[in-house]
Amino acid sequence: MSSTWIVVAGDPTVGTLVETGRTIGGELVALVLGPRSTAQRVACAGVDRVVWLGEPGSAPLEAFAGAAADLVAAGRPQVVLAADRAADRVLAGAVAARTGAAALGGVRQVETVDGVVQVVRDALGGIVRERLALTGPTVLVLDGGALPDEGVPAPVEEVAVTPAGVRVVEEHPAAVGGPDLHSAHRVVAVGRGLRERGDVAIAEALAVALDGATACSRPMAEGVDFFPRDRYVGVSGQRVTPDLYLAAGISGQVQHMVGARGARIVVAINTDKDAPIFRECDYGVVGDLYEVLPALTEALGR
Amino acid sequence: MTIVVAYKWAANPQDAQVGADGAVDLSRAKPGVSEYDPVAIETGRRLADATGAELVGLSVGGPQVGTSMARKAALSRGLDRLVVVADEALDGARAATTAAVLAAQVREIGDVDLVLTGDGSVDEGAHLVPAVLAGHLGWPLLVDVTAVERAADGGLRVTRSVGAGTQVLEVDGPAVLSVAADAVVPRVPGMKDILGAGKKPVAEATVGQVAVSEPAVVGRKRPALAQRKGRLLTGADTAAVAAELVAALRADGVL
Repeated sequence: MSSTWIVVAGDPTVGTLVETGRTIGGELVALVLGPRSTAQRVACAGVDRVVWLGEPGSAPLEAFAGAAADLVAAGRPQVVLAADRAADRVLAGAVAARTGAAALGGVRQVETVDGVVQVVRDALGGIVRERLALTGPTVLVLDGGALPDEGVPAPVEEVAVTPAGVRVVEEHPAAVGGPDLHSAHRVVAVGRGLRERGDVAIAEALAVALDGATACSRPMAEGVDFFPRDRYVGVSGQRVTPDLYLAAGISGQVQHMVGARGARIVVAINTDKDAPIFRECDYGVVGDLYEVLPALTEALGR
Repeated sequence: MTIVVAYKWAANPQDAQVGADGAVDLSRAKPGVSEYDPVAIETGRRLADATGAELVGLSVGGPQVGTSMARKAALSRGLDRLVVVADEALDGARAATTAAVLAAQVREIGDVDLVLTGDGSVDEGAHLVPAVLAGHLGWPLLVDVTAVERAADGGLRVTRSVGAGTQVLEVDGPAVLSVAADAVVPRVPGMKDILGAGKKPVAEATVGQVAVSEPAVVGRKRPALAQRKGRLLTGADTAAVAAELVAALRADGVL
């Protein structure tokens, strides 16, 4: 039985990766980049052992991808799992190149059928779902899931490596955070229907009344900067699973909806009665978000 | 020195039809230079102009990649020349195969010290090809890059987004950079650019050996959408509609 590896770049929220690795079977090894705390957290997540590349210092985690790939390749895994996050994908790609593996993104499900690992994934931005049988070593990129439950710590082996010649010389962290999008039970998302940056306050007021978080469609986070970049929902942005997803001024293109389809209830507010989002909602209001959102905030206050 | 921009020729899946059996009909979806790749070409053009480098476009894929229309669409955006691998074997090629072929061509072009890519393809959008490409080249990859300039010592000074913040990094050696979708506003090619594009050199290369064992498709279907109520709330009185919606959401237990 060959081993399965999980590769982690800094963020230990890899509960789904651990669960998936366990269903594949064999030894489950985690390779961790980032601070010692991340390695220790992953060690308690239910893996058999952890390979940690040491404190990163001023090098970004991406600078360790090549050295990490060499270590993974030496383990000759058939399946390598990575979370669908920017730095983790860089690591996943380096591993795929080094091991000559296939690389699949958008993975939704992994199972073993008659001894062969099969994968269900979203293809072409989520318009079609394909089932694939793996034929050789493969790197799978999937949603990392939640922070895993803490159990008995597995051994952590520290391996000293030399990173590539890249250094972080300036850091400008985000000024404001806002509530976490993934743990929010209610999400108010706005799109191109919002005309000015100052008007984001209308959505924020409703989010406060709902005890939820605000989000947006991609154009609101790029180019116009109404929202920080980590707040847009969609195929290449965030995928959210709240109880309530209220989309205002969002037409409902497939690339956006793929990120919102996991919501229990979808509410659509749009001035265009033919907007595709009305075909995928539980409740629809044909109207101007500038009127409907404040009215909802008001109604919730009563 | 040479800067390579790896771009994809692809159609937007939004315009595709998907049958109940999962068969994808792309006949109504018009392919083009993938949505965010012109941003990478523009970024490359500005850097090449500032440093005197040559800017080479590189694309691999099915036969459509090599058509005159596809070549001109890419070249008219500011590339000096083009290298294409247009082969049926690469029609719908997956990330690892695509990246392996790209890497072989980057090595073939020679004297390359920077590869730029756009932020995810318009069709797959998995953000994996630059990562595997960088792995093959043994170069670091930085993504979500919003600015890049050549430092006095020959290295690169790169600004990128991390979450909602930004970082500035110094890169010593060659690198792959994936450019953020809003890093620069790409030029809109005019008639002169399109006519000029027809005169620029294009090299056609062959696939070569690819050792990746890609998975076999054993099933395909249109994703089942969650059953939604699809209830439209109407009425001229916005306050009444809002109250009705709040009551419905309370009844559903989501408030």
